[in-house]
Amino acid sequence: MTKETAMNFKAATLWGMIVVLFALVPVLASSPYQINLASHVLIWSLFAVSFNMLWGVTGMLSLGQALFYGLGAYSVGLLVNYLGSAWYLPGIGIGLLAAALLAFFLGLLVIRVGGVYFTMLTLAFGQLAWQITFKWYDFTGGDDGIQGIMPPGLLGNKTAYYYFLLVLVLVSIWILKRMAYSPFGLILRCVQQNPDRVRFLGRRVRRNQLRIYIISSFFSALAGSLMVGVDSSIHTDMLYWTTSGEVILMSVLGGINQFFGPFVGAVAIILIEDYVGAYTEYWSLIIGTIMLVMVLGFPKGLVGEARRLIMRFGRTETGR
Amino acid sequence: MKKNVRVCLAIALLALMVMPMAIHAEEKVIRIGAMYPMTGRPGLYGIDSVAAAEMAMDEINGKGGVNGYKIDATFTDSKAKPAYAVRVATRYITEDKVHFLFGIVSSGVGLAVTEVSKQYKTIFIGTDHASTQLTVDKFQPYYFRVSNDTFSSMAAGALYLKELQAKKPWKTIAYIGPDYAYGHDQWNELRYNLDRFGVKHKVVGEYWPKLFEPDYNSYVTSLINDKPDILVTGFWGGDTVAFIKQAQAYGMFKKTLYFQPDAGGNYELMSAMGAELPAGLVLGARHYNNWPDTERNRNFVQSFFKRTGRYPTYAAEGAYAGVYAIAKAVEAVGNPDDTEALVKALSTLKIQLPEDPEGFTSYIDPETHQIMQMQAIGVTMPNNDFPPAKMMLGDWKVYKPEDIAPPAEYIKEKRK
Repeated sequence: MTKETAMNFKAATLWGMIVVLFALVPVLASSPYQINLASHVLIWSLFAVSFNMLWGVTGMLSLGQALFYGLGAYSVGLLVNYLGSAWYLPGIGIGLLAAALLAFFLGLLVIRVGGVYFTMLTLAFGQLAWQITFKWYDFTGGDDGIQGIMPPGLLGNKTAYYYFLLVLVLVSIWILKRMAYSPFGLILRCVQQNPDRVRFLGRRVRRNQLRIYIISSFFSALAGSLMVGVDSSIHTDMLYWTTSGEVILMSVLGGINQFFGPFVGAVAIILIEDYVGAYTEYWSLIIGTIMLVMVLGFPKGLVGEARRLIMRFGRTETGR
Repeated sequence: MKKNVRVCLAIALLALMVMPMAIHAEEKVIRIGAMYPMTGRPGLYGIDSVAAAEMAMDEINGKGGVNGYKIDATFTDSKAKPAYAVRVATRYITEDKVHFLFGIVSSGVGLAVTEVSKQYKTIFIGTDHASTQLTVDKFQPYYFRVSNDTFSSMAAGALYLKELQAKKPWKTIAYIGPDYAYGHDQWNELRYNLDRFGVKHKVVGEYWPKLFEPDYNSYVTSLINDKPDILVTGFWGGDTVAFIKQAQAYGMFKKTLYFQPDAGGNYELMSAMGAELPAGLVLGARHYNNWPDTERNRNFVQSFFKRTGRYPTYAAEGAYAGVYAIAKAVEAVGNPDDTEALVKALSTLKIQLPEDPEGFTSYIDPETHQIMQMQAIGVTMPNNDFPPAKMMLGDWKVYKPEDIAPPAEYIKEKRK
């Protein structure tokens, strides 16, 4: 076996394992809660991975991705609420389109500045959207949100909906992974490490930044719209900046320089939150301590450190 | 060396994960899955609710439980976040197999959880959130509330203002309340009730500061210019304290009557402001430590004090009432597993609570599943019986539940 086929084989096994593991959840689950939990894990993973395409790969720390996550959710929620559950799937499509368009126009504004200014601008626009949703009580339900949003037909079944979102999430993550390791992904990494060099090579920095901003926002919106069917409700928290903060935590915990880092981070945070929250109200203390330990002791994140261990003790094959 | 540090950190991390493990295994148990915010600004409401619910459970279990069943509750911090509370509620129902969902302070969270209760056909006992939507527009048969809704507080408020007008004519009214659902609901419901009771009034100002606003100075100066006879406010918690302190500095309460019928009379305000709380403010709440002056209420307040070393805020009585309502329903049905029979028992429940004055028994309205209780409104005056408060309410006006509950046409209109 050549080295390349070996790598491909390894990647395929990894994917196979993830698919089988998540596909088996409804079969092995002893209660509908585990399906619910797995749905949360999958959706947050997609959100975190798409966010990390911006931050970990391209170096653009956005504090406003909740805007797109919420946009996806509110498109579905509002359409179903006002026009009926037949609008569930069209709602997802409209939300994605709206997110891509908004990201395009917003991107033209916010990408003009870099570093902390970019972060602050994304935060400002995110909070603006939150404020509007929060105050437009008659239309959005304000902080009461909207409840009882049910997907139509077969998707109304929790298990069917789980498989629906599983397919969409895995396909999206697969697309993002292909993108991360494509020539486009390489340019994005260059943009992060040395934007001047990118210009010297005849590539446009801002255009690539705008592209990835739109792509990341598109998949964030997909995550938001899928969440509606899991919780049957939407609320303004989905647009609040802490939601953007949560994906940052997930990325840091899993490792921002690893494609699957945010995925593992999302799994870990959701499970910790759930497990610790069930036994003590001091959950925030424990998550805080874990984050502190991770950042100080294991800055590469869970996936990064695991890879390091494998490289040290395992076979001497080089990982990516 | 560095390696050792890492190993130690990793072990510490593992220990942290394993530490909170606890195993519940008991037979013949009524399982309650409770959710309250335990942190942040609404944290005190959650902490008092948990203490009171545990107190009620100890009292009931101490007497041998209900039909041989002990009551057991799990409490989880809802973080006041709807999405998280939905997840916890789902876990409670499907993993922990609870018989009752319980608690919730924020109406937004309550609305999300009532959806879960409906889907899984599990009874949800609301103990502190007040949005009328839960019992009217978004009513579902598995939901019951054992504390006031904002509508009743506001209807009682409107009646109070009507009586006041007869005695001491007032013309103008202004409102200031937090800019979110709770603030808007109160003002809409008060105006609805003023019109319903034929109280003539002119609105001279409406202000919507954000929730947790630290600085009310600009609002106070505007309000002083508006010269309302009555100033209605819709704050809760620290916002009430901040507003009263700042408005008092401008001498606002000399010419204008301060009126806060839903959450103003919470003991939290009296204990936070001590002697600084001005006399003559007209306030209402969902439970009072000094009204009604019955043995049941005195016992409740003193037992709570003995247990926690402080007097309860109104959230406590809601949680206490919730546990007793569950006990009473299970007693009638004989077991906690027959949900449909429990729904039936709860919808016709009559129960004596600390909040009931002599000769009155709280009951659940079968139409809305809202508890029907007497509502009192009082005026601040010196009283040192409940330190650190130096002022408490007195000079009570009491309203019957039939007069202040949402009228049939209101319910019909909203449920359309």
